[in-house]
Amino acid sequence: MKRRDTLSLILGAALATWLAAPGAAWATAGRWFSPIRRNRLRPPGAVAEAQFLARCIRCGRCLEVCPYHAIVMLDIRHALHAGTPLIAVENIPCYLCMKCVAVCPTGSLRPIGQKETRMGLAVIDHYSCLAWRGDTLCRTCYDKCPFANVAIRLEQLRPVIDEGACVGCGLCVNACPITVAEDGGKAINIEPVYAGNAA
Amino acid sequence: MNQSRREFIKKAAALSAASCVGIQLPFVLSNAEAADQGASWHRGSCRLCGVGCRLELGVKNGQPIALRGVPEARTNFGYLCMKGMNFWKCMRHPDRLTKPLYRAKKTDKFQEISWEKAIDIAADKFAEAHKSGGGAAVAYYGSGQALTEETYLFQKIMRGGLQSNNVEGNPRLCMASAVGGYQTSFGADEPIGGYADIEKAHCFFIIGSNTAEAHPVLFRRIMRRKLDNPDTVKVINVDPRISQTSRIADKHLQFKPGTDLTLLNGMAHVICQEKLYDEEFISKYAAFHKGTEKVSLAEYRAQLAAYTPEEVARVCGGGFTPDDVRVVARWFAQSKGTVSLWTMGLNQRKQGVFANNLVHNLHILTGQLLKDGADSLSLTGQPNACGGVREAGGLCHILPGHRPIENDKMRGQVEAAWGLPAGRIPNGGGLHTMAMFQALNEGKIKALWINCTNPAQSLPNLSKYEAGFKREDNFIVCTDIFPTLTTQCANLVLPTAFHFEKTGVYGCTERRSQLTKKAIDAPGQAKPEVWIAREWAKKLAEKLADPLIAQCVKAFDGLEEGYALPKAIWDEYSQKITAGRDSDLRGATYAVLETMADGAQWPAPTEAHAKTGGTVKKFVKGRDPLADAATTNGDSPYQFYTPGHDDHKLWIWLRDQAQPEEIPDAEYPFYLSTGRIVDHWHTMTMTGRIPELLRANPYAYVEINPKDAGRMGIGPGDMIEVKSRRGRNLLPAKVIDGPLEGMVFVYWHDQHPDRLINKVTIDAVDAASKEPEFKICAAQIKRVSGPQALTPYLV
Repeated sequence: MKRRDTLSLILGAALATWLAAPGAAWATAGRWFSPIRRNRLRPPGAVAEAQFLARCIRCGRCLEVCPYHAIVMLDIRHALHAGTPLIAVENIPCYLCMKCVAVCPTGSLRPIGQKETRMGLAVIDHYSCLAWRGDTLCRTCYDKCPFANVAIRLEQLRPVIDEGACVGCGLCVNACPITVAEDGGKAINIEPVYAGNAA
Repeated sequence: MNQSRREFIKKAAALSAASCVGIQLPFVLSNAEAADQGASWHRGSCRLCGVGCRLELGVKNGQPIALRGVPEARTNFGYLCMKGMNFWKCMRHPDRLTKPLYRAKKTDKFQEISWEKAIDIAADKFAEAHKSGGGAAVAYYGSGQALTEETYLFQKIMRGGLQSNNVEGNPRLCMASAVGGYQTSFGADEPIGGYADIEKAHCFFIIGSNTAEAHPVLFRRIMRRKLDNPDTVKVINVDPRISQTSRIADKHLQFKPGTDLTLLNGMAHVICQEKLYDEEFISKYAAFHKGTEKVSLAEYRAQLAAYTPEEVARVCGGGFTPDDVRVVARWFAQSKGTVSLWTMGLNQRKQGVFANNLVHNLHILTGQLLKDGADSLSLTGQPNACGGVREAGGLCHILPGHRPIENDKMRGQVEAAWGLPAGRIPNGGGLHTMAMFQALNEGKIKALWINCTNPAQSLPNLSKYEAGFKREDNFIVCTDIFPTLTTQCANLVLPTAFHFEKTGVYGCTERRSQLTKKAIDAPGQAKPEVWIAREWAKKLAEKLADPLIAQCVKAFDGLEEGYALPKAIWDEYSQKITAGRDSDLRGATYAVLETMADGAQWPAPTEAHAKTGGTVKKFVKGRDPLADAATTNGDSPYQFYTPGHDDHKLWIWLRDQAQPEEIPDAEYPFYLSTGRIVDHWHTMTMTGRIPELLRANPYAYVEINPKDAGRMGIGPGDMIEVKSRRGRNLLPAKVIDGPLEGMVFVYWHDQHPDRLINKVTIDAVDAASKEPEFKICAAQIKRVSGPQALTPYLV
């Protein structure tokens, strides 16, 4: 691909994005706001979101080292946040290999262990969870949890989250058989409740 | 993956473009919502495991849209597991086989052909094979998932038509040892009680079974019982691996694989030592046996003397204390009712029958049998292993109706029922599964029909048997709904109707026969197996100019295959063949079964008895109509009327510890065991095509004890080579406190050549049951690399 072609593609894509969401595009697409929300998380050990933008140098090392290709780099639609790492857990969750925290050169991802990781907190939607609804004997999230019986335990055959132990890796979200929303929302989701905390 | 600035910009641009396309994610319709949309609901049994859950298929515009449980059913009370609730999603999967496929050579590409031509080719090849080598050159390998009508008809054509006892099925790989155990200990196959005992039990003895994952709905009943009575109900789990089942256990005993025979003898030792046995029960109903001789209680106790709790704890690897053995034995013996449950952990063993005997021993010794809440209950893994294969003659050594093949009188009864001359069915000569595939290797079998099963994935020591599948001088027919590793080895692939696309009976673990009626049409040209078998037999009769082959299907000629044909087959089987046998199903007619939420447990000689649900406890007067009529045990409340034991007693067997085929050594230092995971079933041909189940468990992994992992520098997700003397696998590691130190565990659903664990397992078989030892072999493990992103693989 020539440089010219590349640039015209970018222009075309930008134009298409603009046309696809007329008017409200700038305000709603979150170009200037943090991309962190439900099931869209920073890798393990991330500093508070308010500082992340300033610290991360977009070197891409975390994404290079991730063996599962769980970490993706945000594209130019995210403007200021472009180039920063993100994990979309319903696509590929974090398997907690902790390789990314070891290579981060800026400390945006602090070198922490599996258990200290707090990417977010799993929250079960009792109205769509099969086990809570009583539809069927599903315990997929419990089975997939790397801290089974600690972070997720079964009470009367229904999954319950321990807030003190859940690391927010998203393995449960990824495995959950129920998709309730068009954005990929599941019956169990990771809320980035720690993203606002000070480093 | 270093990327230049230019590449980054390119990627970013491409992503921006993709985002404009707008991808819609699937939305799962709940059952309640489906019901509101005008679906019609059709009752049947679950297609998957052996629990026999009853469910209803929601159909709208001729298409399946949902499944829901039947609350009145005595098997599941309306509960379903994830597999059971979702299997409708594979019914209209684009991978479904819809046209007959043929290739002359196995290296050719498949060509679509007509049914007429397909049946002609199948008949031609079987006729050719039969002319060259008689009954020994042809074989049928069936399945515990085939309907009873299908297994019955195929074995009738094979035995009565082609005069071959080469009739086998995958239950040989799964519960043949349980059959051997029941026959040698109780003199009659299949459990005395059933699931109803769970709600009355006070002690559960779960050995060699991960019920929580393999039979989730049944496990719910056990768990409910335990959770409702946390102090009065004890759960004992005995397994080398800590599994989901262990979660509810009061005691989990982890032993070195293969030493459970010692543990079971140790429990018997404690029961004898502490006089916890039921003296009256033993004196009235039990006899002691060692090999071919009869022995006394004193001799039995003398043999057990070596199995002191201290010795047991030592032999079993020190995972528990001598006192644990004592406590467990006391709980077992002294509870108001003890139910033992086991599956492959005992069955898939070189000592499978012995292990089964030793569990039965404990029940007979303590009298934990024949009363409510007490049973020695072997669980089955397939929906119709009991009903179709064990009862309807699906194994080489048994004729339908629990008849041993070598008995002249029994063969005579079947020949008479089929309208065949005496002597038509050969006396034995059938090959058991592993011998059958060995014969295929050696070129002795020229034509093989594989129905509804996937031996190219499920046989142990696979690489050895690949040779036979690949030979060009044999002819393999496969009847299936999806492409499998086995259809890849076939010459002729015939597309069949799936569950709910045909009519027939499944018989679950607890002797219960349940009907599933056709609710929707099969896609494309797929046909029910009963139609295929009938047409094939008619053609065979022409080609071999043998009217007796035609006689086998004469009564079924011209019947409509969706309902009338299976009904006629069931009527012949239930009315003529099961009459006068312990598996009497004369009362369980289609008419009766259609009215029931679940089905009938045999013996069910009359319709009135079948309508009540049949016999909950075999051999018990007042509950079992055959016991009411029997006088084999005088006027006692229990009548062991079956002819298996000439003294009509329960036999306690003296069985010493015997070793598995392979024990870890310096070169292969690990025990390797295989098993199942909750979201998949067997070779994954169905569950792998259900996105919700596949995404939860996309590929197999090897479970490694954290201590071993630490010692060998293995981290979670690292790629591990698992190698035995027979083959190797490359799998990601799951470091978990599951398997015992020095043991690894792999689940066997994955179809990928690198993760096909049956390349590694051993093909040694139990001397009596001929069931292979999938559960124990020696292996070495080696870390190959760090984590790798893997993708699921389906043929």
